[in-house]
Amino acid sequence: MSVIEINGLTKDYGNHKGIFNLSFQVQEGEVFGYLGPNGAGKTTTIRHLMGFLTADKGKASILGKDCRSESASVMKELGYLPAEMAFFDGMSGMDFLKFMGEMRDMSNTAYRDALIKKFELDTRGRIRKMSKGMKQKLGIVCAFMHDPKVLLLDEPTSGLDPLMQKLFAELILEERSKGKTILMSSHSFEEIERTCDRVGIIRQGELVATENIHDLKEKRRKIYLITFDSPASAVEFAKKDGYDKVTVSGATAKVCILGNVSSFVHELGKYNVLDLDTESCNLEDVFMQYYGVSNGNHSNKN
Amino acid sequence: MLSKPLLKATIKQNYIVLLIIIGVLMIYMPTIVSMYDPKTQESLNEMLKMMPKEVISAMGFSSPVSDLLSFIATYFYGFLILLLPMIYTIIVANRTIASHVDKGSMAYLLSTPNTRAKIACTQAFYLLTSITLLITFVTLSGISMCQILFPGDLNIKGFILLNLGALLLYYALTGIGFFASCFFNDTKNSLALGAGLPVAFLLFQMVSDIGDATKFFKYLSLYTLFDPATIITGEGYAVSYLVLVVIGVVMYTAGILSFHKKDLTL
Repeated sequence: MSVIEINGLTKDYGNHKGIFNLSFQVQEGEVFGYLGPNGAGKTTTIRHLMGFLTADKGKASILGKDCRSESASVMKELGYLPAEMAFFDGMSGMDFLKFMGEMRDMSNTAYRDALIKKFELDTRGRIRKMSKGMKQKLGIVCAFMHDPKVLLLDEPTSGLDPLMQKLFAELILEERSKGKTILMSSHSFEEIERTCDRVGIIRQGELVATENIHDLKEKRRKIYLITFDSPASAVEFAKKDGYDKVTVSGATAKVCILGNVSSFVHELGKYNVLDLDTESCNLEDVFMQYYGVSNGNHSNKN
Repeated sequence: MLSKPLLKATIKQNYIVLLIIIGVLMIYMPTIVSMYDPKTQESLNEMLKMMPKEVISAMGFSSPVSDLLSFIATYFYGFLILLLPMIYTIIVANRTIASHVDKGSMAYLLSTPNTRAKIACTQAFYLLTSITLLITFVTLSGISMCQILFPGDLNIKGFILLNLGALLLYYALTGIGFFASCFFNDTKNSLALGAGLPVAFLLFQMVSDIGDATKFFKYLSLYTLFDPATIITGEGYAVSYLVLVVIGVVMYTAGILSFHKKDLTL
């Protein structure tokens, strides 16, 4: 059963901004990663799902209910984390969570308190004085505290330190095991990779692909940085065939490898390797690798 | 159709501004009432005659003063009642909707199972109730002040009628502010209309009072519909009151509808 359904959704802001004829579904119990550079239309899509915007064409629905006309009813089962943190002036963290609980008619606060503890959220301070990371944690607690069936998370880990990012990934996996349906947007491939079952990639308002995360990983080239004992060994290594792309600078070689790395490891055994490192792919590289998209038209947006 | 927690939060957010405005009005009201002296009324009128007519007119002090009611009507309801509560309504009307949309906190309100109409109605309810409270407070304190200082001198029925007029005027004014707050997505535009218009009305009112040459300005001001001098005669106010009510109803309804329909970039 598909919980989130988007059909031919179009919102044209002119100037190629907006979303165009967008269609995808998220199944029950699935974690869907929504990936795209800044300005690609991720937040616009989520705004439609939240019922903030009326589409020019097409339809978005959650749990069979129209996102725009039945939004209040949809919200009963939905948790939302906005991309921009804006709370209520002058409230403390706890005031805000209590207020949101009352707005939702939420009676059970056990899960809320467990989340506060898990994320080490200090709820006493005024929100205005909180750091960006603390605000983000507050937003996360607010999105999950009423144990909703569906979660829409707009760039959930921005502002979190690596430790908290890891905690957040654990939370997502936990919620998935409870059968929750989650859509989370991101511009970081790593973040999505850790938690999602399926990925949709959006570019300039159009969905360019939806892929199973395992397929994506298999197709994905990884970049390794090898530091040899001397520039000569690096050059010698680079002469060896079988790699798509090798660049050498000094004693360091940079190599892209698709899929299995055993022959690469075997080959490295012949050299004196001082250091081996991987370079994280940014979204740009991901696009390049999977779809052969040229840098030209969207590099300036990222 | 109202959200209790939101109403509570809105009260908490705004009660200090309300108290400040009430406080300032409570300084003026006793001062003005205590300045009334049936015996020196004549000499005061003499003194006013010596000042340039235009200056006095612009302040709304033009009508001849005979009794306590017309004294208060002239000195308190001619200008102060137009200015001070207006400041309150301008601040609060913007805060009800536009500032939540501008800051983004509206996203949280709408992520709860409450319709936009319910949220807008709650905020409109607060605005209407708080301004009613303010005018009621002014009315009651005015009556008690007069009863203490000049027992029996105040025409209470006329005084209540005068305050009813002020209240209806504020229903219309807050209606404009509320509509601006609902219609625009940012504080800047909401204030441009919601504050700009009432302030312009006040200026037009003052300009039109200066003399015959500038009289036509009164057709540009909503305040023309609230004329203390006419109201205390007990006649000829019905149409004005009705128009104010209609403006109020139309503006509040339009505000809620526009908020219900519009795109929110939250």
